Amino acid sequence: MHSFGYRANAVLTFGVTMLALMCFLASLSDTFTVPTTSAEVKILNINWFQKQANGNDEVSLTLNVSADLSTLFTWNTKQVFVFVAAEYETPQNALNQVSLWDGIIPSKEHAKFWIHTTNKYRFVDQGSNLKGKDFNLTLHWHIMPKTGKMFADKIVMTGYRLPEEYR
Amino acid sequence: MDWQGQKHAEMLMQIFLVFSAVAAFGAGYLMRDFRLMMLIYAGGVVLTALVTVPNWPYFNRHPLKWLDPSEAEKHPKPQVSNITSSSSSKKKASKNK
Repeated sequence: MHSFGYRANAVLTFGVTMLALMCFLASLSDTFTVPTTSAEVKILNINWFQKQANGNDEVSLTLNVSADLSTLFTWNTKQVFVFVAAEYETPQNALNQVSLWDGIIPSKEHAKFWIHTTNKYRFVDQGSNLKGKDFNLTLHWHIMPKTGKMFADKIVMTGYRLPEEYR
Repeated sequence: MDWQGQKHAEMLMQIFLVFSAVAAFGAGYLMRDFRLMMLIYAGGVVLTALVTVPNWPYFNRHPLKWLDPSEAEKHPKPQVSNITSSSSSKKKASKNK
């Protein structure tokens, strides 16, 4: 503490250390909330189901995604990234995950939502395995914090099936 | 600042900053407002800097008693004595090399 510059440096350095500690505690406080979320995805229509020129199956769906993710928002939440993925098994791959739609929820007010849309991203298989295929639709979310660790979780919805024939 | 003052300033800095951090976190957590926490903490850091960094007279209450200048003149620093003529020639010889 021998000079003005020395003391100014000490204040700033110790100040930043305390800031790091506060951010760590803020992130830790997130682990104490126990969220309750609900979601539902309905397939309203299978628009078309074709085999592409390169041999891969492709299907176009109209979905209705509704969810209530408001309990995920804490004081340390910047936004929640949410996406819907179709998951199924093929002889070639134990798990296929194809993202159909995603969105960003910027605040708690927007967290209880309902959207009616065709799939934002194409549902294309690696091969030709989709005829009559049973698949799950999973709603994944990533809670992006203002500071600290990002947590991710999901809700799995089962019981969807693609048609036996192309249309 | 004198030595006592420096120690005091350092202690005050640590106390102020820890207290600012605790108060900021507490207020932010209770009001569920992250921005509030950051604002309170920034205010605390500025306050700490204002109190502990400048050389306030409060930190100079135990000044060191330096030797008075008139006293110093009575006891001059020992000078290197002027070299004698014989040694100077020796030195000159060595310098030429």
